[in-house]
Amino acid sequence: MNEPRVLILGIGNYLMGDEGLGVHLINSLSSASLPDGVDLLDGGTAGFQLMEYLERYPKVIMIDATLDAHPVGTIRLIKPKYAADFPKAMSTHEIGLKDLVEGLALLGRMPELYLYVMSVADIANLHVGLSPEVERALPVLRDQVMLKARELLNPAH
Amino acid sequence: MAQRIVVDPITRIEGHLRIEAEIKDGKITEAYSSGTMVRLIEEILKGRDPRDAWAFVGRVCGVCTTVHSMASIRSVEDALGIVIPPNAEMVRNIMFCAQNIHDHVVHFYHLHALDWVDVVSALKADPKKTSEIAQSISNWPKSSPGYFSDLQKRLTKFVESGQLGIFANGYWGHPAYKLPPEINLIGVAHYLEALEWQKEIVKVHAIFGGKNPHPNFLVGGMACSISLDDSSGINAERLAYVQQLLKQAKDFVEQVYIPDLLAVAPYYLDWGAIGGGLGNYLAYGDLPTTAYTDISSYKFPAGAILNKDLSKVHEVNLRDESEIQEFVKHSWYDYAGGDDTGLHPWKGETKLNYTGPKPPFDHLNVEEKYSYLKTPRWKGNAMEVGPLARVLVGYASGKSEYKEVVDSVLKKLNVPAAALFSTLGRTAARGIESILVAQWALEFYDQLIANIKNGDTRMANTEKFKPESWPAAAQGVGHTEAPRGALAHWIVIKDQKIANYQLVVPSTWNASPRDVNGQSSAYEAALKDTPVADINQPVEILRTVHSFDPCLACAVHLYDEEGKHVSKVKVL
Repeated sequence: MNEPRVLILGIGNYLMGDEGLGVHLINSLSSASLPDGVDLLDGGTAGFQLMEYLERYPKVIMIDATLDAHPVGTIRLIKPKYAADFPKAMSTHEIGLKDLVEGLALLGRMPELYLYVMSVADIANLHVGLSPEVERALPVLRDQVMLKARELLNPAH
Repeated sequence: MAQRIVVDPITRIEGHLRIEAEIKDGKITEAYSSGTMVRLIEEILKGRDPRDAWAFVGRVCGVCTTVHSMASIRSVEDALGIVIPPNAEMVRNIMFCAQNIHDHVVHFYHLHALDWVDVVSALKADPKKTSEIAQSISNWPKSSPGYFSDLQKRLTKFVESGQLGIFANGYWGHPAYKLPPEINLIGVAHYLEALEWQKEIVKVHAIFGGKNPHPNFLVGGMACSISLDDSSGINAERLAYVQQLLKQAKDFVEQVYIPDLLAVAPYYLDWGAIGGGLGNYLAYGDLPTTAYTDISSYKFPAGAILNKDLSKVHEVNLRDESEIQEFVKHSWYDYAGGDDTGLHPWKGETKLNYTGPKPPFDHLNVEEKYSYLKTPRWKGNAMEVGPLARVLVGYASGKSEYKEVVDSVLKKLNVPAAALFSTLGRTAARGIESILVAQWALEFYDQLIANIKNGDTRMANTEKFKPESWPAAAQGVGHTEAPRGALAHWIVIKDQKIANYQLVVPSTWNASPRDVNGQSSAYEAALKDTPVADINQPVEILRTVHSFDPCLACAVHLYDEEGKHVSKVKVL
């Protein structure tokens, strides 16, 4: 058995439309065949409860929605070292997660963290599905995430 | 001259809450509490399968997912008359306890401590003296001078690297901080230790709920199978692990949390006379030792206390449509019957109508509607819910385990019982409750094991799981006690689908706006007369509001576009 090496962690609230795109992405990957050493986690709306996972995996790819000035569906990769590096307007759980990241930094236990954020327009719309724009952009994000996961598994290539 | 200050957002972790306070001669004369987000989970649930509701409501909040799921499955079980097996009852209790302790410890160290502990001052502490104090208050092993000196070096390095972390936002150096540097250093040390400990206790949820975050629940019982020698389900080995985690939790509460609470409190005894507020307390009760349907078996008894009168505990009936009602006089909703109507949750309506000022704005118009929270009332009374309410209802009910712990804490702090009706009392009650819950968790564990050893492995009652077996119409209510207070979900089922669903969450009780009669709710009442030394650094407001463990994520929904918040007085 290989040690767990890479965690793909989707966070967000699927009760709030596009805000839950991270969770939708994890759900869409759950039927895909993943390379050995890659695990998936639906982090949902959790904050502190994710600590165990952030400590267990040396490399974590995190996926979340963000409200910013970019066009809807814009994908950005951020490599946060500290809580302050997270986008300001992330999602419901933002502050819990940021506090957790700060705590991990203080404890010297931050994993190598890659944060993919996709810009969304409005999370005030209350529904469970995704908007057409985010729906369209999601496969692109999915490919990028998988590419990154493979790259992290085999750094030499 | 009176001045109006605004604190927004006020929470460090979940939710969006804004406080506007009028201050005259260094004291708050009026306070207004506003939930600035809306969630409308009720509308999402309409038309769905009642058996799925728990999964949706579990996502309402990042902190109390399990209690929402629990209230939801109980509401459906209540509507359909389903009685769950004893094992499921105990597993739910154990999960309840794990969450309660987790939440209280995280609240104390990560949300509330920094209102009392000056982390910058910790850098000046003498590690040797710190160690002496730590060893005098507890047997907790991590207390050597070397331990504190290493930590101090790490903190200093962290601050020097320019990454402030917990040091970034605070009113450090404010005269309201009274602790000596050594106790501040202990506080910071345990802030970090609590962070490490909390990741252990949540594993209980993963074991019984299949995964964490967002464990699985089931209408009729629990979605896990238990057998002592089963290799795939929950077997003797995994149960032993649960017991170990519960024991660790008890150790952490007794050797870290409570000693810290008792070491910090003596410096802030003046807060035993500040922030009392309503004096009305409400608990729905939970933690059945036999069955949820047997209210008399609850470890947390149900009841209401009015006007701080501990000689009488009033009965509370969640089904009586004249008892609990929600009002929208000052909330951004419309009721078909008009603004003066109060609706019992089974008849509840959720029609949003924002009439507040267009952001960005300076002040809310508190004469009109000013919050996304509805205003719940019990028999017309504004009520406070939470650990203090639970502890007082237990104490006033004459339960000996409550009396023992409450009296011992009062004695150690050398304060009268009246000091409980305060900001300090609220914070102390959370600790008192943790002592009890940590003990109870192990009792429930023993009860579960005894039951399994007696050959009962039933975990779910599936008799009425199929919708065909349901009546055409049914309604139910499921209650629990969330870490931050009484929580109930009311459901109306028609033709096998959800026709109405209403959550009345703890923060709705505590943080709601005024009612039709102009009565304040708990936060607003508690803030009245609170001293504020420096309006630019209103740490006193934070102390009182944080003492309630505010969590508005479930009361209202997120809307946090950058720059939309007015932060006249910027807070944490």
